[in-house]
Amino acid sequence: MADSVEEIKKAQKLYILIGLVLFVFTVVTVAVATQPWLDFGAHGFDKADMTIGLLIATVKATLVGAIFMHLNHEKKLVYWVFGLGIIMGIALMLLTALSFADPIKYGNPKTGDGFYNPEIPEIN
Amino acid sequence: MEIPYTFTARKDTGLFNSKIGIWLFLASEVMLFGGLFSGYVFLRLYADYPWPERALPVLPGLINTFVLIGSSVTVVFAWASLKMRQWGRFQFFMGITIFCAVIFMVLKGLEYNAKWHHQAVRLDDFTILEGHTHKAELDERGHLHIHHEHGAEPTEEEKKRQFPANVVVVEAEEINFTLVRAHDPYVKDILAKAKERGAVPVLADNAFFYGSPKDLPIDAAERKKLEDQLIKSHASGKEAVRFGDKKDSLYIPKDTQLTVDLLDRAEDVYLEARAINGEVRTKVLRKLWKDAREADKEDLPNFKLAEGIQIDPEEHLTGLVAEAPSALTFTFEKPVALHFKRSLIREGEGSSKLKDDTIIKGAVASSPMGLAVDAVDLRWVAQRAHEQGKDPKTVIEGLWIMENPEFKEIWERHSAQLAILTEELKKDGREPTENDKYRIDWQDLVAFHRAHEKHLEPGSPEVADLRPGMFEGITGPNHKIEENQHAFFSIDIPNEKVGFESLFTPKWNNYYAIYFTLTGLHGLHVVGGALVLAYYMFFSKGLYRRNPEWLANRVEIGGLFWHFVDLVWIFLFPILYLM
Repeated sequence: MADSVEEIKKAQKLYILIGLVLFVFTVVTVAVATQPWLDFGAHGFDKADMTIGLLIATVKATLVGAIFMHLNHEKKLVYWVFGLGIIMGIALMLLTALSFADPIKYGNPKTGDGFYNPEIPEIN
Repeated sequence: MEIPYTFTARKDTGLFNSKIGIWLFLASEVMLFGGLFSGYVFLRLYADYPWPERALPVLPGLINTFVLIGSSVTVVFAWASLKMRQWGRFQFFMGITIFCAVIFMVLKGLEYNAKWHHQAVRLDDFTILEGHTHKAELDERGHLHIHHEHGAEPTEEEKKRQFPANVVVVEAEEINFTLVRAHDPYVKDILAKAKERGAVPVLADNAFFYGSPKDLPIDAAERKKLEDQLIKSHASGKEAVRFGDKKDSLYIPKDTQLTVDLLDRAEDVYLEARAINGEVRTKVLRKLWKDAREADKEDLPNFKLAEGIQIDPEEHLTGLVAEAPSALTFTFEKPVALHFKRSLIREGEGSSKLKDDTIIKGAVASSPMGLAVDAVDLRWVAQRAHEQGKDPKTVIEGLWIMENPEFKEIWERHSAQLAILTEELKKDGREPTENDKYRIDWQDLVAFHRAHEKHLEPGSPEVADLRPGMFEGITGPNHKIEENQHAFFSIDIPNEKVGFESLFTPKWNNYYAIYFTLTGLHGLHVVGGALVLAYYMFFSKGLYRRNPEWLANRVEIGGLFWHFVDLVWIFLFPILYLM
């Protein structure tokens, strides 16, 4: 942890730099989403845009975590506590993914037949 | 008691205690938001309707991102200042941080406000229209009159009379209130509207509430005698009277005027009667079961009776139960036009129902929804056409909205514009999106209107440049600008055409539900964090003098939370605004 006064004084420049980097990344995200000349993948929103958007967001989040929240030099216990939280958070995401492999509602993905194939009613 | 390790590190962990505390809390926050993000993914992947893609105006979200990142930097500087023992500098940076929080919330408020005043409606053919409802009022004859014209601000008097043109008008003849469900504000509303039209609802028939079993005569003839007596003695005064031994029975004569108080009194007696009857019934049932079990020769388990043994409490209840009607019906001398917010009423032929189960008998009058349209979304129509193996273009050409000449021109211009875009994209082997093909948003409408004013042919290449920029309408279409008022065409949607309507609230669709959940929860974190930081800024001078290191630790903890709030927004912004 940057605890001594000298270290903190030095670190301030880094904080400003990181802040600027975050600003730039934000502008890039918006440009990718709104500017036709920077539109990746197919025209309009698609997987490529999603991947880039989330990738930039992850980099930004990592910077905030590592520099502003001092996670780049933290005690072991903090890594354990926060790491477990993140693993649990990812597990929650996986629940959504697992719901696509639901053999009761959607059947066996290999054979295509399931136990329950309701006709979707028409709404009028 | 002294709290240990507030500013010195514990030997085994190397941390002061509150730091472990905040990281535990942040870990739980990761799971809270993680679950909600997961919910967002789930809703989006399973959506069986066109997802509102890039539907929010980007600018407020972008500014808010800058604001939060900026405040993240300043909060670190505030902490660093304390570490260097510079109180003034600490206050300066903390002040900026809190100011940023205020800007963030103000922008959020503007954004929410725009949503809450923006109307959406899905027609029965799955056309989606967005816009602002016009003002309307009922004229002397009770006909709905919609004010399409903009211009002069209405006077106070007019404002009172007018309401959003999103109502159902019923020619009410009879109103039936369910006593336990009747919602006082609705009753008051009906009374006020009836009064405006010079009508008073009166009780349709004599109502007798025998709130105590003792008051209820066993014999039918006796009962008739009692009721006749009551009717006779209270023929002149039209108000409810208590009668019977314990004064908990109620007689309301025919033609008594409806009041909230009257319904409340009736409800009280009804509830009392119901409570008494519940008790009596339980007692009788218990006794019947006991007798039946005793009579039962075989030793069966408690819940089972031998075949042939029936338990019917009804015939054993005579003379023991109270009797009170659960609903009261009021009538009007002649049909009175009453209007109800569309979301509060389920209208039917001859009889409609309010949300509190109040039944209103009477014909539904012509009640079109008056809308100044600022976006037309035909993606759902197209999706359904695809699903049914039809050609979307032909389906769209047969839509009800095509009967509107203004929209017809807009569609023509849109189709021509789309053709240009398709040609352009073809060069790179790309295709227009569903959004390009089937959604006409407010910027398009303004561009088409400008093209119309300039007498440009549909499909002129200049039209694309006429679209309003990012700064014209920061939180969405602005209906106060005169040009927009001309660009956003008016339409009266007949009542039976309206499939589903809502403001842009969580009710409209799952996207707005998760949008408000996520941003609302995040906003609460901003407010909470700002309050804590403000406490450090304004009320911690004493602590700073006594133990500056302790205060620095506190600010570090608050700062960690603040960074986390920023971190959540870093994901929220692209996911909700850009995808």
